[in-house]
Amino acid sequence: MTGHPANGLDDVVHQRVRLGILTIAHEAREVEFGYLRENLELTAGNLSQHLGVLERAGLVTIGKGYAGKRARTWITLTPAGTAALRAEINQLKLLIHQVDGTAG
Amino acid sequence: MTTYPAGADQEPHQLLADHRRLARQVRAAQRVTWFPLLVLAAVTFAAVPVYGLGGFVRTCRDQPGGGRVCAVYSSAALVYWPIALVLAYVAIAGFYLRRARARGVGTRVFPYVGVGIALAVVAGGALTWFVTHPPVGGYDLVGLHLAAGQGAWLFQLFSPGAAIGLALLVLALVERSWALFLLAVGYVVLAFVPLYDLGWVIARPSPWASLPRLVIGGSVLLLAGLLFAARQRAWRRDAA
Repeated sequence: MTGHPANGLDDVVHQRVRLGILTIAHEAREVEFGYLRENLELTAGNLSQHLGVLERAGLVTIGKGYAGKRARTWITLTPAGTAALRAEINQLKLLIHQVDGTAG
Repeated sequence: MTTYPAGADQEPHQLLADHRRLARQVRAAQRVTWFPLLVLAAVTFAAVPVYGLGGFVRTCRDQPGGGRVCAVYSSAALVYWPIALVLAYVAIAGFYLRRARARGVGTRVFPYVGVGIALAVVAGGALTWFVTHPPVGGYDLVGLHLAAGQGAWLFQLFSPGAAIGLALLVLALVERSWALFLLAVGYVVLAFVPLYDLGWVIARPSPWASLPRLVIGGSVLLLAGLLFAARQRAWRRDAA
């Protein structure tokens, strides 16, 4: 049972929205709250909840900045976040390989 | 441990597909490849009057067996290229940063800008050295002896065109763009093609001898910039 790829999945990361946040933050280096909300099609409250989970897990850092007079929130992936994202993608590929192999 | 509900075996496929789609969207938001290409095209075209109307530096050295070997180059161009390229890269960095901030993402342009500025400075210094040290019997560099005829190859290696092309290779890597990679390789190759092979020759000592290379190089950058602008606009429309 422990050898199954699904056992290697992290509950914090293995969730559509949180995986999306990590993907975008990794690719973008840093990403603004509004970009995440728009591209993940979430409400501000929902996104904040997911960001809170990722921040408490040490996978992202959240910083405040200003663009003119507008306050903006920037999200950056931590090294632990990068490692967690990489591990999740590897596990997903393994799982797909196993499922496709079983189906074939 | 994560468990899967029965019949949810498509979920990993969907998650991976989402992962790839979101990554593509971010890259589309970050890319403004057309801007550096158009700026570098403008810098290249602006060099035409610098070569044509500026003065020339002529350095001659005596050959051991008799006779002299001379190097002639536009003195204004030696000053123009490092300054123009450094200013161009600063403008490119500023534009990328502004665009990225406006779109709500970070930027990956800084390695390109750093390499571009370093190449501009190194190429400018090396070009000045080669112009003021015409080959007498060849060059001895880092343990290699290069015959006098190979000086032209070295001269092209440190030309502004090669510096622009090599830096574009870095931009292609950071933007993960095959199209830009092929363009950059082509541009570097173009920098090494002798002028007479380009099929348009204005013989020295005309001050306009560099015109064909500048016009051809600038036109390649201009055309590529326009094509990238059209393509990236379509990408962003599709990704939205």
